[in-house]
Amino acid sequence: MNNYPISHSPVNNAALNSRSNNKTPQLDLNISIEYQQFDLAIELAIPLIGITGIFGHSASGKSTLLRAIAGLETSLRGEITLTDTSLPSRTFVSRTLVNSERGLYLKPEQRQVGLVFQNSRLFPHLTVRGNLEYAVKRCKNNRLSLDEVIKLTELGALLDHRVNQLSGGQQQRVALARAILAEPKLLLLDEPLSALDRHSKTQLLKMMLNIQKQLNLPMLYVSHSLDELQQVCDNLLVLAQGKVVNFGNIHQVIHQLNNDNNSDIIHQQTSLSLPIKTFNNGHGLTALALNAHEDIFMVCDQTFEQQTHLRCFILASDISITLTEPTNSSIVNHLFGTIKQINHQQNNVLLTVHCGSQDFFVTISAFSQQKLSLTIRQQVYLQFKASAVRTFIH
Amino acid sequence: MNSDLQALITTLEMAALTTIILLIIGTPLAWYLAKMTSRFKVIIEAVVALPLVLPPTVLGFYLLIAFSPEYLPGQLWQQATGQQLAFSFSAIVIGSVLYSLPFVVQPLQKAFEQLGDSLLEAGALLGAGPIDRFFSIVLPLTKASFITAASLGFAHTVGEFGVILMIGGNIPGETRVLSIALFDHVEAFDYARAHLLSISLLITSMVLLAAIYWLNLPKKNSSKNLMVNTVREEKSSHE
Repeated sequence: MNNYPISHSPVNNAALNSRSNNKTPQLDLNISIEYQQFDLAIELAIPLIGITGIFGHSASGKSTLLRAIAGLETSLRGEITLTDTSLPSRTFVSRTLVNSERGLYLKPEQRQVGLVFQNSRLFPHLTVRGNLEYAVKRCKNNRLSLDEVIKLTELGALLDHRVNQLSGGQQQRVALARAILAEPKLLLLDEPLSALDRHSKTQLLKMMLNIQKQLNLPMLYVSHSLDELQQVCDNLLVLAQGKVVNFGNIHQVIHQLNNDNNSDIIHQQTSLSLPIKTFNNGHGLTALALNAHEDIFMVCDQTFEQQTHLRCFILASDISITLTEPTNSSIVNHLFGTIKQINHQQNNVLLTVHCGSQDFFVTISAFSQQKLSLTIRQQVYLQFKASAVRTFIH
Repeated sequence: MNSDLQALITTLEMAALTTIILLIIGTPLAWYLAKMTSRFKVIIEAVVALPLVLPPTVLGFYLLIAFSPEYLPGQLWQQATGQQLAFSFSAIVIGSVLYSLPFVVQPLQKAFEQLGDSLLEAGALLGAGPIDRFFSIVLPLTKASFITAASLGFAHTVGEFGVILMIGGNIPGETRVLSIALFDHVEAFDYARAHLLSISLLITSMVLLAAIYWLNLPKKNSSKNLMVNTVREEKSSHE
């Protein structure tokens, strides 16, 4: 599992509503919360592997779900069970966090669940070091050293600062470090990047991935930005109106969202994790292996140490279609494929094109579709620039 | 002068004891009121605020009746301690606690409301239980309000007259406090001693109030001020 970021075996929709009895690290939810606008009702087993994204509109119940797991939502009915690895024996232990029938309701401080809030909620009367030590003092295990976490979150130079002297990104790093130092079994992240600039976002996303890997700490990450989730998550849970709409492997779920007429909330895209074939080919392009015989090129002149795979996405609007092979084009990526699905969406058409073993998503205007008279099973060429292959945290 | 000194000692003892009791019962009461959402909240708040508007003699009158051996509170006290409650030092302390209650509860309640739940939730998720959270988060962040509450409670108790006159009478060493001694001096046309007591009470009150206001003064680059702002920002950005 050292290959990163690797897509894990897909958790398909059959996982919905089925509650596994096998002891694997997972979070079993069967909860309902009554609300003014809608009722939150979720029955789901979430495998605690890597980072699980939770995506939805504002007021879809994402934050409420995290608060329920953390123990901050008191008007909750149902059951929450957390099965995690118990060190040092490495056996799996199930703990019931909530069981409303039995009247069992663990307090937040008893759950060993961490939460990083949208606004860092640092203690303003303490320095950065004071905030970190607050967690250390109350942690029963002390398996993690303060120095190790300071290194992971690059806080060394800030330890004696007052927290209100820090920038937004720095504050969130302190909040992340503080949450980790409490040594939770599960870390919840509630839109931790929403108030940050792009640079800080990228830095924090990298840090989250690195921490997840180094500490093997499962995370549930709520965001309304699919781009952020696409970059770091292994699985994705989509909520709407307090209900589970979709849950499974990140790429599969994103591809399903493309076809669900969600163009108002997401950028329709092809989401990929691809092996890196050659770094910088001398012209600032990196080749990714799409399959055994086809590569796609992206603009990237960095080298990726200890990294064999790259998470990237191509917006559906960045790909165009031609009927003949575009041999005289400046556009470097062209793939041959078969149209699998045509989905009319207002003035646009979303095409699903099967190339090799991978589905690509392409939006073209309805006008172009008529002009080329595209039909299902027709063979076409896709073309997109190297700069259309996007990734923003590497 | 000796009797005035005695009155001063009684006053300070009464005010100090009252302040301590007020902090002990006022803190949980203020906390409860700050977190309470039920409709009864306004009723409790009105009861707590009552001494602000009620003539002290009215409060004193009801307390006098309650403390007398014919009524239950007075009877229970007598059974427990073997002494009469009315016209005792204990009576004026109880009277003062009720009379100064709003001066302690209100600033604390406001401070707790302003602090909000966000930092307490953060503390809980780091493993801090409720008592731990109170001492590690609430107390340090509302320190200024605690000092204000204690000073106001103390100063208001020192200046008390009507309630003590009704339930304490004027027993030297027991219930004869400064304000009552002053009244006695004026009654006896001993204006020299009345002046001395008045000016010293005036100056002490002035100094105490100035100290409270200085403490609550918004200071540039003061950590206390910044920290209150941070909490406010947090609250507003959360809404």
